[in-house]
Amino acid sequence: MRKVVIDPITRIEGHLRAEVEVDENGVVQEAYVSGQLFRGIEIILKNRDPRDAGLLAGRICGVCTNSHFRAAVSCVEDAYSLKLPKNAEILRDLMAMALFIQDHVVHFYHLHSLDFVDVTSALNADPELTSIEAHKYSKNPFGNSNTHYETVLIKLQNFVKAGKLGPFSNGYWGHVDYKLTPEQNLILLSHYLQALKFQTNISKAVAIFGGKTPHPQSIVVGGVTSVADMLNPQRLNDYLFIIKEAKEFIDRAYLPDMKLIATAYREEIKAGAGRANGNFLCVGGYEFEGKQRLFCNGVIYGHDFTKIEEFDENKVTEEVDRAWYSGDADENEICYTDLNEDGTLKTEKNDDKYSWIKAPRYDGKTMESGPLARVFVSYSKGNQLIKSFVDEFLTETDLELIDLSTTVGRNCARAIETSYICEYIFKLVSRLIQNIKYYDTDTWCKYDFNALPKDTKGRAFLEVPRGVLSHFVKIKDAKIENFSVIAPTTWNATPKNFDGLRGAYEEALIGIKIEDTSKPLEVLRVLHSFDPCLACAVHIIDTKGKELSRYKLKTL
Amino acid sequence: MRIVIVGGGIAAVYLANNLKKQNSSLEITVVSDEKYPPYDRIHLCRLVDGTEDLSGISLTLNPTVKLELNQKINKIDRQNNRVFSDKAMFSYDKLIIATGSLPITLFNIENIKNAAVFRSAEDCQHIRLGVDSREVVVVGSGPIGLELLEILNEMPNVHNITLLLRGKHLYNTNLSMDSIKIIEECYLKSGKIKISYEDEIEDFVVQENEIRSLKTKKLDIKNPFLIFGTGIRPNSENFRESLACGKGILTNLFMQSEDENIYAVGECAEIQELNFIAGHVKECTLQADCAIVHLLGLEVKEFKLETTIDMLKVGEFDLVDVCSPKFSCGYEKVLISSKDDKRVDEYFLNENKLTRFIGINSNVDVGYIETLINSGDEVDINYLYQNRLIGERGRLVCSCEHVYHQDLVTLVTQSGITSFLELAEFSQAGRVCGRCKIMVSDIIKESQHLIDPNMPRKSAEDIKREKEIAEVQKRIDKFNALHPRNNLTTENLNSAMESLDIAKHEINSWISMVTANMQLHPSFEQVVENAVCNLNKVPIIWLELSDCSGNSEAFIKSTNPAIEDLIFDYISLDYHELLMSASGDQSETILEDIIKNQKGAYILIVEGAVPLAMDGKYLRIGPKGETGLELLKKCAKDAALVIAVGSCALDGGVVAAYPNPTGAVGVAEALGRNDIINIPGCPTNPTNIVGTLLSYIMFEELPPLDKFNRPLWAYEGRVHDNCERRGHYELGEFVQEWGDVGAKKGYCLFEMGCKGPYTNVNCPTMKFNSGTSWPVQAGHGCMGCVEVGFFDKYANERKVEDAQSCN
Repeated sequence: MRKVVIDPITRIEGHLRAEVEVDENGVVQEAYVSGQLFRGIEIILKNRDPRDAGLLAGRICGVCTNSHFRAAVSCVEDAYSLKLPKNAEILRDLMAMALFIQDHVVHFYHLHSLDFVDVTSALNADPELTSIEAHKYSKNPFGNSNTHYETVLIKLQNFVKAGKLGPFSNGYWGHVDYKLTPEQNLILLSHYLQALKFQTNISKAVAIFGGKTPHPQSIVVGGVTSVADMLNPQRLNDYLFIIKEAKEFIDRAYLPDMKLIATAYREEIKAGAGRANGNFLCVGGYEFEGKQRLFCNGVIYGHDFTKIEEFDENKVTEEVDRAWYSGDADENEICYTDLNEDGTLKTEKNDDKYSWIKAPRYDGKTMESGPLARVFVSYSKGNQLIKSFVDEFLTETDLELIDLSTTVGRNCARAIETSYICEYIFKLVSRLIQNIKYYDTDTWCKYDFNALPKDTKGRAFLEVPRGVLSHFVKIKDAKIENFSVIAPTTWNATPKNFDGLRGAYEEALIGIKIEDTSKPLEVLRVLHSFDPCLACAVHIIDTKGKELSRYKLKTL
Repeated sequence: MRIVIVGGGIAAVYLANNLKKQNSSLEITVVSDEKYPPYDRIHLCRLVDGTEDLSGISLTLNPTVKLELNQKINKIDRQNNRVFSDKAMFSYDKLIIATGSLPITLFNIENIKNAAVFRSAEDCQHIRLGVDSREVVVVGSGPIGLELLEILNEMPNVHNITLLLRGKHLYNTNLSMDSIKIIEECYLKSGKIKISYEDEIEDFVVQENEIRSLKTKKLDIKNPFLIFGTGIRPNSENFRESLACGKGILTNLFMQSEDENIYAVGECAEIQELNFIAGHVKECTLQADCAIVHLLGLEVKEFKLETTIDMLKVGEFDLVDVCSPKFSCGYEKVLISSKDDKRVDEYFLNENKLTRFIGINSNVDVGYIETLINSGDEVDINYLYQNRLIGERGRLVCSCEHVYHQDLVTLVTQSGITSFLELAEFSQAGRVCGRCKIMVSDIIKESQHLIDPNMPRKSAEDIKREKEIAEVQKRIDKFNALHPRNNLTTENLNSAMESLDIAKHEINSWISMVTANMQLHPSFEQVVENAVCNLNKVPIIWLELSDCSGNSEAFIKSTNPAIEDLIFDYISLDYHELLMSASGDQSETILEDIIKNQKGAYILIVEGAVPLAMDGKYLRIGPKGETGLELLKKCAKDAALVIAVGSCALDGGVVAAYPNPTGAVGVAEALGRNDIINIPGCPTNPTNIVGTLLSYIMFEELPPLDKFNRPLWAYEGRVHDNCERRGHYELGEFVQEWGDVGAKKGYCLFEMGCKGPYTNVNCPTMKFNSGTSWPVQAGHGCMGCVEVGFFDKYANERKVEDAQSCN
């Protein structure tokens, strides 16, 4: 048995690390995921004016930035039972949805696609055949012409000539697990380059109503401030135009590319590579029409799509047995037990603490959250809107629903969701225009802060790009007494508990076969498929702690 | 402050004018014992033959300086801060003595009709009138003596001149025979001049205040006119009683005498520590500079001996003498001489290092020689030989300003300069010590025919800017040379940009934006573009510590156009720890490699705070579990520049907000350094990061910083002052609550707790996400995110005083 260290996994919730133990065939037998940074934002939030929670909690993450901003403000609003004007809710949704699109596209192309795409192979592609190949996955492929592919090819060659592969340098080109043909590689690379432009544009959509991104600044307790932008038809038009352009790209590039990869990696999908324990959690949300929601809420256990439980927030618990906190009265009390001397995690005993990440459980179980959970729950609960998107995808790729619970499938679910969200945005904007047309221009619900209850509690559950986000606040004497956050990555990257249950990251890694321990592409694929939003370096060491090689994850 | 300057020469005028320049309210009086207003002694010769009258060589004194003539100061009353002449008394707060030197004569020549020294305007007149039909005898051959000899030689009423020399040498004992021959030849050609070496006056007969005859060791001379050019001594006689004197008035390195209110500058002063008395105009002005700043309490600047350059153009030969203060007699000499060209280059070496150069009709670039001497490097003799031919800038004309012949010609043709007067706006050539003034005037005259009347004239400003641009371009070229491993050229860059579907016009507009943002003239655009192309030559390490990745996110996403991404993601990615792609061993070794092999050449960008509590273990990075602090220290040690990006890196930001559970601090504090550039913001506008990097590369130095080490060009303007809603503030139109009528109309957000009045940054003009918006435009107001401790002070929606009462 050897130990593979993936360290550090950083970026979104701080710095993360993963260690996996592999047998003589390179098959992963056990995995540990650990957060390596503690900042104590929840402690800092204590004793502050509840109205300030948003600006501060937004800084939990600069990537899912407006998610935390909004969740913190929402839980305070919940505590005060404030009812938002419709427009405020819509504007917040417009910002959130633009973030979904931006995050998903950047995640796939710039953070994940190179786990599937071999750049050097693309150099051997035939532009004419490439164009034919692209037509297999879309009636009207994005930027599909011989000359376009020729130019991309020449530009790629120029990169190589310039001695600057840029983002493509130093990859594990030629790895046996790269399965695309040169032509398929070229299609994805050409989209990779186009998506760079795409992501700068889409971020403008967030900024139109947010003032800036990351860390937008337009949400306040009781509403939003960007009312002048809302009332400016040009701003609405700009927003809509950006989304329209985005939709073009998603329908003609992103989705077809996922179909291409799902076809090429069919074997891995059918083998269930990267499948976690099949427990899925979705809190639903985002008003569509009437009672209809963009995402349905629900809980699935062990891939049983026939039995969907309603989500019950009282079943959410947080444990700290194996996290660096004392499990006593005050959960936030630090109890740091350090690393081993060689820098590895202390995991020998089954009560060794090894992470700053707490262990959230739903009804005592570990859960996977994210686009895949949303798609499964919504689909299984009969959400007709998403059903058509999912069915179309499954038919065209000849896959079954369960096949989505894999490394590749997680990406497919993400792409399906992105396309679906674009439709939703058009609905949202037209609702907003309807409101304004009938003179409903309110963006803030009036309240007298001094008249609000001094002692109260509130919570917010939100679906955000990477999964379920929940903020909890307890207010005493009009000050924050306690603040608590469970982020999507907390669910997915949870450490074990006294129960020994693995979280989604850990579980998905089990059984993965690493062909070449110096090139653990397979491990990276699994981790990336969760959109961990972090950069990490994988280091492989043997049982004696001797390092064999290291691997750099390319993520945000 | 009342300042009295005693003396009427170059030093006195220089002192008075420059003191006025520093502080125009100073009361300055110049007290001179001469009859005439100050004039330039360097050009006294022009008075001898009458080619110039006194007005032609007069010096310009600041008109607000009071000038007292005919006042010989003979007493200082130190106790009461007063000085006396025969006729008047002057009170001072500070006294500067700049009385220069007195010539040495062999015997008292006062009242003797046919003997003179060569020191003042009156002396010139005396010589001019006295030499007529007499046998002129010049004693000594210093530089001014040689010039005088030339003038006399040209005068029709002078028939015989004898140069009387005690030694075997002309000009200087160190000069070689080859050189002396050339000089000698020039003088002897006309047949008027006789040179008598190893000779001196033994006897003379005076009758009726007139020397009838002279007897020297070798000659008998009847009816002579005797001119002494034998040497000078400090003119300090009248101060010996009141001040400590050696040969001159003793001073310290700030030119201050034993009395703290009295300074002595120039040839009258003797710097005790260096045992030094000035002999060149350059030295006098340097001393004056030291005295001025010391006297006004501006800064401490010690006088240091510098390499001097003497240039002499007499008749058919010119002589240049570059001499290091380290020059000493035990030298070895390298002589390169060409009989045909009548050219000699004499190199004096002390311990293989060049300490002096004397050239007769030499073609060597004097400026280069000076740098060679100053460098103190050992000299390769072969190289000196190869170097004997002239550079493309022609001969050095003005040694003070280092202006060459060709520089002047270019100036004249580019800017259509027609006279020495007009030149003043463009160059100080000929105006510092004044020695080359005539030469400069001649060059201007000679090059008039080269001026193209149809060419647009360049203003002095244009030329200055061109020079700056050339400098910047040079630095960029240097970076090219320093970092050859990246063979990216402009062409490649273009193709790389194209591949990202970024149109050329977008690149151009971006470059214009960066240029404008950095407050540079539009003509800098080309060099900015070049710098952009070369930015990738500098390895960049980007560390994330206790952070939220917001700045990285801003950096790679919200840009206009995606060219910043391009530069950092796609061009400099190899050196970018966090954004680079999968690379196995290479990725880790690249960090190690940069730290080890690019010492002092890489830039470190740090995002996030540094937690110090619990031995820094709140943040562990890497296989060995290094703490954030350990990693930061390792990377910062040999970085050429450390840039702290974002508010957490400035002072801990949100992580260090009360009660700062992890003991977080900013990068500067964690490293205990005060040379960290801070570019705070939450997040920082990426344009400001790129601008700072470009500025570093173009100017090779930190941009001007404020007290928090933030680049002034981005953090100087107050948000409130540049705010688009400022007009509403002035009109008293405020948003009173979120979403009210004022909010819909875009009124001022001050009442809603906008911190614009307390915040200094360029958000109102730069905005975010390609100029899409900024917090004030989004109706929220500024929260002061670039300021120290803003999370505890400003991050709320209440006015500052209300927020305080709340907490």
